[in-house]
Amino acid sequence: MATIVCEALTKRYGAVTALDALDLTIAHGEFMVLLGPSGCGKTTTLNLIAGLEEASEGRLLFDGRDVTWLPPHRREVAMVFQSYALYPNKTVFENIAFPLRLRRTPRAGIERAVRAAAEQLEIAHLLDRRPHQLSGGQRQRVALGRAIVRNPAAFLMDEPLSNLDAALRLSMRSLIKRLHHQLRATFVYVTHDQAEAMTLADRIAVMRGGLIQQLDTPEGIYERPANLFVAGFLGSPPINLIEGRIEDGAFRRAELRLPAPRAEPGREVVLGLRPEDVEAPAPHLVPLAGRVELVSPLGSDTYAEVSGPAGTSLTLRVPKGWRVREGEGIEVGVDPARLHLFDRATERRIA
Amino acid sequence: MLRLGYDERAAALLVFPVVAVLLVVAAFPILYSFWISLHDVVLTRPLRRPFVGLDNYLRVFADERFWIAVARTTVYTVVTVAATTVLAVLVALLLNEAFPGQRLLNALLLLPWATPSVVNGLMWKWIYDPSYGLLNGLLVQLGVLERYRAWLGDPDLTLLLIANAAVWKQMPLAALLLIVTMKAIPEDLYRAAKVDGAGTFRRFLHVTLPALRPGLMLVLVYETMISIRHFDLFLIMTQGGPGDASFTLSWFIYVETFRSLRFGTGAALSYILAMATFLLSYLFIRFLGRRL
Amino acid sequence: MSGAEDRRAPPPGRAAARRPVAPRLGRGLLLAAFSLLFVLYVAGPVAWLVSSSLQTEAQATAVPPNWLPPEPTLANFEAIFRAGERVVTYETRRQGDPATGGFLPTGAQNLLPSLRNSLVVGLWVAALNLLLSLTAAYAIAVIDFRGRRATLYTVLATRVIPDIALVVPLFLVIRALGLINSLAALVVTYLAVTVPFTIFILISYFEGIPRDLYRAARVDGCGHWGALRQVYLPLSLPALVAALTFAFLTSWNEFVFALVLTQNVEAQTLPIVISGFVMDFTTSFSFVNAAGVIAIVPPVLLAVLFQRYIVSGLTAGAVKG
Repeated sequence: MATIVCEALTKRYGAVTALDALDLTIAHGEFMVLLGPSGCGKTTTLNLIAGLEEASEGRLLFDGRDVTWLPPHRREVAMVFQSYALYPNKTVFENIAFPLRLRRTPRAGIERAVRAAAEQLEIAHLLDRRPHQLSGGQRQRVALGRAIVRNPAAFLMDEPLSNLDAALRLSMRSLIKRLHHQLRATFVYVTHDQAEAMTLADRIAVMRGGLIQQLDTPEGIYERPANLFVAGFLGSPPINLIEGRIEDGAFRRAELRLPAPRAEPGREVVLGLRPEDVEAPAPHLVPLAGRVELVSPLGSDTYAEVSGPAGTSLTLRVPKGWRVREGEGIEVGVDPARLHLFDRATERRIA
Repeated sequence: MLRLGYDERAAALLVFPVVAVLLVVAAFPILYSFWISLHDVVLTRPLRRPFVGLDNYLRVFADERFWIAVARTTVYTVVTVAATTVLAVLVALLLNEAFPGQRLLNALLLLPWATPSVVNGLMWKWIYDPSYGLLNGLLVQLGVLERYRAWLGDPDLTLLLIANAAVWKQMPLAALLLIVTMKAIPEDLYRAAKVDGAGTFRRFLHVTLPALRPGLMLVLVYETMISIRHFDLFLIMTQGGPGDASFTLSWFIYVETFRSLRFGTGAALSYILAMATFLLSYLFIRFLGRRL
Repeated sequence: MSGAEDRRAPPPGRAAARRPVAPRLGRGLLLAAFSLLFVLYVAGPVAWLVSSSLQTEAQATAVPPNWLPPEPTLANFEAIFRAGERVVTYETRRQGDPATGGFLPTGAQNLLPSLRNSLVVGLWVAALNLLLSLTAAYAIAVIDFRGRRATLYTVLATRVIPDIALVVPLFLVIRALGLINSLAALVVTYLAVTVPFTIFILISYFEGIPRDLYRAARVDGCGHWGALRQVYLPLSLPALVAALTFAFLTSWNEFVFALVLTQNVEAQTLPIVISGFVMDFTTSFSFVNAAGVIAIVPPVLLAVLFQRYIVSGLTAGAVKG
């Protein structure tokens, strides 16, 4: 178990900078999720922490010890992969036992540790099988078993659930969360799935282009996105973004006018409105009217695509109990406190 | 940052033996060969090896045997490569079909490939034999030929007959490469072509052939590179004869070096052949690669 | 001529009943005819070689030829295996072939030693070739190191050098080292010929092994040697078999280098001794053909045995190279 510190960690491939001076401290026992689209540098970060790639610049510390140049087999980290990466020529037992064998653990100890891990993951009955005889979910449990038998300094997970179907993904998600609670170990988890990130993380680092865009708790990232990218990346359906400018303490775009008392006048801005932040009209809310173009019922919720004022096209969650039809008008209320404002040039959040 | 990480130390260690062997047995000889080609090296006179600049090359170009050898090599290579390619396409089309016995034919395809070239030469020489050969026997029994004749002794036929032996041995690899390329053609293309109303021949013309381009490219380059330097068959079957009917470049190199013991001109000839090979493959890739 | 015909789903309903028979029959006949031509062309020459090796000299040289041996005899093979028991002189040559008056070639007693030389060289080349190529291919395919491309191109370049350009300097180098007419010289030379190809086969195979397996092995505690031994080696058996077979076949079949680098029975390989027979025009044909059959047997056996591996290895190596 360890505190992991990245100091100005940089990775370049030729002229391409995959990771640009990353500073990140992952506390002992913390569940850190690296979230971002493909090519954002999250997997590179994970590989650098594992030692699978060598840093171009910067330092990496485990509990204060410099491990920048330590090869992976001397770092004591465990890893779980999207493709499971089970050794196809070994049985389940031998797969889980492999890291222990490499550490010359006594035979009896291996037997005990593998059984215990298998019990914990409910795969004890599969120990004699080979990977190709297992389902995807079973394979990932074996991979988790291979990781937990050896008390590593940290668990590194590279999109471990992306190859599973939706139902299995949910149950494996809670399994991983339970493991984290039981093991109290440091987890670094890479994903592009915001739902995984939100449910699992103590803190999320949202990444893009080799840079951390925002580092915060899931709530913090969702409630106060630091910039347009983070705002757009989290949330499903995605946040509505409307370009306009600040005039007389309000956001203006043609006839559309929404109060924004704290923003400085004359600024070119982008307004963000999450689809779920609309309610039935009420006196303390600002009214917003438009015409329903398309209705998407999801069962639990219903979303409507609405052509709003000033030529905007908005996705809105239809308030509970409403019935809407395509082609009809709709009027909802918006709480000005829940609006997000970003500078159009810098894309940064305006406080 | 000049720092050797664990990876680079391991890589250096793992790669060193091969690099060492290749440097000693391939890279050094190549450079040495260039040095020899610039000197007058005669084996019977080991101590005097004067530097002669490009004299060896000039002497080769002035030698009329060189131009004969170029002509023979050209004819032989063109015939061999063309016949190998056409035959390989036919064989690949056959073996790409599913029919009973197809697996057996696939196994049979490796027979010529596995046959040592010396045995290949011996076998065909025996078939072409002027007094007892099977070719004579067959043609006379069929009534095509009235009496036995010396096939390899006919200067007009020699190169073609040697080329036939070469094609027999080389065709399988070419066919295998083409089969692999064919197997990679998406089935949907054929289904689309069928729906569009294309018959078997049109499907071959518009789907198979275009998709075969990279495979054909590879076959052409590879076959040219090896045919141009064939030697074994010439030594076994004709020794350059009759007259100079099969006097090719590689045979010239052998005679010049190991019979006349003129290593300088031999090395120059080797360099010319190697350069020609490189140039040809380059031209192939450059011009055919686009149009084929 | 696609494979589509066979995988076509049966047409639904009544359409199936009206499906025409003629095109399918035509296709069958066409395939049968082409298959027959193919078999005749590919196997015919070898069949004739084998057939004439089982005939006496008189039968083999009959006009018109005996397509099949009238009375199959192993006398020629017997002569090969007993050639070492006596010195062949002009007087005894005639007695060499017990079946007829065919001449035994002067080098007949060299045949068995050359067979042994070929085997020894082939096995050494196969083993050393694999050892050398395995580590290099792993490094090039798996490790990201400075000089990776340079190493790759060095290997590539040595593969496209024509043999004939190497013969002259290699002869001089090996002569200077005093290694002419030694099996060691042949082994080292054949390594240079086979190693680049093996490396290409192995690289293309290694690159097909999921990268995540490598990453898993490394974090589980393997160094590079461990990852090679524990993950790549057990998963590459087909490629290893193909590589071993190619190396052995190449060295078994090789002619030019052996011709130049060897001089006598100490180091001459089978192709050299056989080529000597062929050029000796007083030779018994049936005897030479029997020698040819012996030279063909090991490679053909290997090819049949490892057909699957060879085909995938050949095409992978060629496509990459």
